[in-house]
Amino acid sequence: MKNLLRFFILIIPIGGILFFYNILTEDKFYPGASFKNTSVPQFELLSLQSKSPLINDDLNNEMLLNVWASWCITCRIEHGFLMKLKSEGITITGLNYKDEASDAIDWLNLYGNPYNYNLHDLKGSLALDMGVTGAPETFLIKNGVVLVHYSGEVNQAIWDKVFLPIIQDNEMFK
Amino acid sequence: MNKIRKKRLVSVLALVSTSFLGVFLILSALNSNLDYFYTPSELMEVEIPQNKRVKLGGMVEKNSVVRNGTNITFNITDYQETISVSFNGVVPDLFKEGSGIVAYGKLINNRLVAENIFAKHDENYMPPSIEISS
Amino acid sequence: MIGEVSHFFSILASGLFFLSFVFSIRTYSGNHNLEVLVSRVFSYGFSFILISFLLYVWLAIQSDFSIRYIAEHSNKDLPTFYKISSIWSAHEGSMFLWILFLAGWSQLFNYSLSKNDLLKAPAIGVLAFIIFGFLIFLLFTSNPFETILPIAPTNGADINPVLQDPALVIHPPFLYLGYVGFVIAFAYNTAFLIKGDMQINWESVIRSWSLAAWILLTIGISLGSWWAYYELGWGGYWFWDPVENVALMPWLAGTALIHSLYVSSRSKVLRGWTILLSISVFSLSLFGAFIVRSGIIDSVHAFANDPQRGLYLLAFSAVLITSSLTFYVYRLPQLVSKNLVVAKSKESFLTINNILFAAAIFAVMLGVMYPLIFDYLYDERISVGPPYYNTIFAPLTFLASAFLVFSVGSLWQRSSKLFFLKSFLSMSIIFALIVTMFSVYFYQEYQWWFIGGIFSGFLILIRYFFLIVDSFMKKNYFNKSSATAHIGLGVLILATTLNAALSYEKIINIKPGETYKGDAYEFFLIDFDLINESNYDSVQAKFSVKPIDSPKEVFFMFPEKRKYFIRGQITSESAIKITPLKDIYMTLGDQLESGYWVVNIQYNFLIRWIWIAAAIMCFGGFTALIERLRKS
Repeated sequence: MKNLLRFFILIIPIGGILFFYNILTEDKFYPGASFKNTSVPQFELLSLQSKSPLINDDLNNEMLLNVWASWCITCRIEHGFLMKLKSEGITITGLNYKDEASDAIDWLNLYGNPYNYNLHDLKGSLALDMGVTGAPETFLIKNGVVLVHYSGEVNQAIWDKVFLPIIQDNEMFK
Repeated sequence: MNKIRKKRLVSVLALVSTSFLGVFLILSALNSNLDYFYTPSELMEVEIPQNKRVKLGGMVEKNSVVRNGTNITFNITDYQETISVSFNGVVPDLFKEGSGIVAYGKLINNRLVAENIFAKHDENYMPPSIEISS
Repeated sequence: MIGEVSHFFSILASGLFFLSFVFSIRTYSGNHNLEVLVSRVFSYGFSFILISFLLYVWLAIQSDFSIRYIAEHSNKDLPTFYKISSIWSAHEGSMFLWILFLAGWSQLFNYSLSKNDLLKAPAIGVLAFIIFGFLIFLLFTSNPFETILPIAPTNGADINPVLQDPALVIHPPFLYLGYVGFVIAFAYNTAFLIKGDMQINWESVIRSWSLAAWILLTIGISLGSWWAYYELGWGGYWFWDPVENVALMPWLAGTALIHSLYVSSRSKVLRGWTILLSISVFSLSLFGAFIVRSGIIDSVHAFANDPQRGLYLLAFSAVLITSSLTFYVYRLPQLVSKNLVVAKSKESFLTINNILFAAAIFAVMLGVMYPLIFDYLYDERISVGPPYYNTIFAPLTFLASAFLVFSVGSLWQRSSKLFFLKSFLSMSIIFALIVTMFSVYFYQEYQWWFIGGIFSGFLILIRYFFLIVDSFMKKNYFNKSSATAHIGLGVLILATTLNAALSYEKIINIKPGETYKGDAYEFFLIDFDLINESNYDSVQAKFSVKPIDSPKEVFFMFPEKRKYFIRGQITSESAIKITPLKDIYMTLGDQLESGYWVVNIQYNFLIRWIWIAAAIMCFGGFTALIERLRKS
C-alpha cells in the first residue's frame, strides 16, 4: 500500500483534465453565443437595393438577421454556408454594416445573394442598439424577439450546436 | 526509532504542517480578494453591501455620456437594465457609446463609483470608419 | 499553387515525425540500428517543416489572399516586416510558429547531441511524438492553409494599428522560443524515466538547454511587460491577467528547475524534485497554450475559438502530462537519493527554494483556476485581482531572499555556521536594517510590504557586495553568473517595491496657454497640432515642461490622440519622459465642451529599473550558459 500511495499524486492532473473536459462539453460553452430574449429595437432604414424605407413591421416573423459588410473577410467565408441555409428555405435578412451601398451591391452580384433583402445600416445605429461590435454576427429572431445573438462566423458546427436547439424548441422554420 | 528515522519523521512533519499552513494562508488570501462580476440585470437582483467593490460589465448606453471636468458619468446597460457609473480620469481608448466595458468600483447610492474602467478588445471584428459626425 | 506545396510539405513532415517516433519505440529494447534512423528521419522532418514555413512566409510577403488566414490578418499596404509578423498575430499562424520552434530546438538538440548518448534516440522519439501531435492539431483543427476560392479577395482585412508595433511583434517569438525550449528537458527526462537506467547523467545534458530556454523566456516576458507599459496607457507593467499568469508559471518552474539542476548535478540529491520540475515547466507551457487557445478564459487577449480545438489540446496535453507523470511516479523510489540533505548546507537552502517556488506556482495556479471552478459550481462570475497575487508574492519573495542570502557562502554537503558576530551575513543584516529604517523614515512609508521589500532588496545587494569585495581581495573563486543574476533580483525587488510605494498620478483639466504646477514640474500647454498621416488623423498636444529645481532644463512632451481611418479606431499615444529615477507619463484624455482637455500625468518611479533588473538577470544567465558551453 505504501508503495502505491505515490500514485495518488496523479489525481491532481487527472482531476484537472476531467474538470476542463466537463466545461468544454457543456452545451452552453460557446464563446460568442448569447441567449437573451430581447426585442429588436425600433429602426428606420433604407433597403440596400430598392432604397425603399423599412421598419420593424417589415421583418419576417421567423428569420435570421445577418450582420455583414463587403470589407469583412470572414463574411466571405461565412457566405457559402448562408447560401446553403437559403437553399434549405431559411429566411435571411442582411444588416449591411458600415458599408457603402455600391460596394455592398457589387459584392452580392459577384458572390451571390443569400438575403431576401438588406437593411442598409451605413452609420451602424441599429447595430449599435443591438449590441453589435463587428462583423459577422447573426441574430435568430421570432416575432420581433431576438432569441440568439451569435458573434462570429456561423458554420455547420455552430449552426448545429447553437442555433438548431433553439429553433427546435421554438418550432421555427417548419 | 533510530536517529535517522526520527530526523526524517521530524522533517516530514515539519514539511506537512508548513504546507497546510501555507495552503490555508493562500486560500484565505484568495477568499478575501475575490471580485464579483455582474451584468446590470444581475446587479439589480442582488443585495450588495455598500462598501464592497464589484465589477460591472455591459455596453455604454447611447446618449448617456456626460463629461464634467475630469469626471465622466455614463450608463452601463445589458439592454434589459441600466446602471449609472461615474469615473474620474482618462477613459481607455476603446471606450465609446456602444462599446463593451467593465467598470470596477464601489456601489454608492445605486451608482457605481468606478476606480478602473476596462474596455473589451474585439480582435477580429472591427468595422471601418465612415465619417460619423461625433 | 505555392499554398498547396507548403501544405504538402507540412503533411510530409508530420509523416516523417510519426515515423521517427515509431522507430524510436524499438530502440528501447536496444536496437541500435534504428537509432541512427530515428535521428535522420527526424532531420528530414525538420527540413520539411522549415520549407513549409518559409513558403508560407513567402505567401504572406506576396500577399496571397487566396489563403484565408493571410486574407484575415494581412493587407497589401502593410510594410513587409508587418506582413511577416501578421503570421503570428492569431491562432493558426502562431501555432505554426510554435511548431516551427519546437522542431527547431529539437533539431538543434538532434544535431549536437552525441550519437553515443544512450537516451538520444528515445528522447528524439518523444520530441517527434510531440511535434507530430501538434502538427495534427494544426492541420485538422487550425489549418493555416485553408483557401478562399474560387475568387480570392483583392485585399486583406483592415489592419489593426495596435498590432503594428515592433515590441508587440517580437514578444511572441521570444516567448515561444522560451516555452518551447524546455521541451528538450521534458523529452530527455521522459526518455530517462521510461528507460529506467539510474546511472545515466541526465543533468549535465539538460542544464545548458534549460538555461538557454530560461533566458529567452525571461526576455519574452519582459518585452511583453515593456510593451504593455508604453502602449496601453495605464502606466502599469504587470496586471496579473490570466494570460500573463499562464506565462509566469512556466517561468517560475523554469527558474526553480535551473537551480535544482545545479544541486542535482553536483550532489546527486534533489533528483526527484529536478525531474518533477522539468516535467512541470513544459506541462505548464501546455497548460498555458490550452487556456489561451480553447476559449475557456474570456481574457483581454485570449484567442476566441471553438470547443473542438480546446478538446484536442486537452486530450493531447493530457496524454503528454499524465504519461510523463506516471513514469515519474513509477520511478520515484529509485530516484530518491539515499543521502540526506544536511541542514544549513547549500543543498538545504536550495531545497527550501524549490518549496517556495512550488508555493508560488500553486498560488498563481489557484488564482487562475478559482474563477473557473467558482463559475462551474455556483454559476457566478468572479475574478481574482492583483491584491491577491501581491499579498502572496510579497512574503514568498521576502522568504526566498532571506534563504538566498543564507545560501551565499554556505557549503556543499556540509553545514555552515551562519550567524556568528563578524560574519558577512550578520553585517549585511545590520546594514540592511539601517537602510530600511532610514528609507521608512525618509519616505514616511510604514506598510509591511514596503519594509519587507526594501529590507530584502538591500539585504541581497549588500550581501553580494561583501562577497565580491571579499573574493576580490582574497583572490577567491566565486560564482560570477549567480552573483550577477541575484544582484539583478535584488534590484528587481527594490524597483518594484519603490515603484509601488512612490508612484502617483494627477488628473488635470487644462486649456492651451495655461500652466499646471505639479510637485516637481510645471507643465505649460502651448497648443495643439493637427496631424494628417496617410492612415490616420491626430490631435497632438504640445507641452513644455519645466523642472522646478532646474528651470533651465526645459523639455517637451507630445501626447496624442489618433483616429485611424480604416477602422475608425481611436488610440492614445502617451508621451513618456525618461529620467534616471522616474518616468513622466502623460496621456491625453477627451476634450470637454468648454475647450478644456482632460490630461493624466503619472510619475512612475524606478520603472525602467524593473526591466534593467530583468536584463541583469538574463546577463547572469547568459554568462552561466557560456561557461557551461565552454566547459563541454
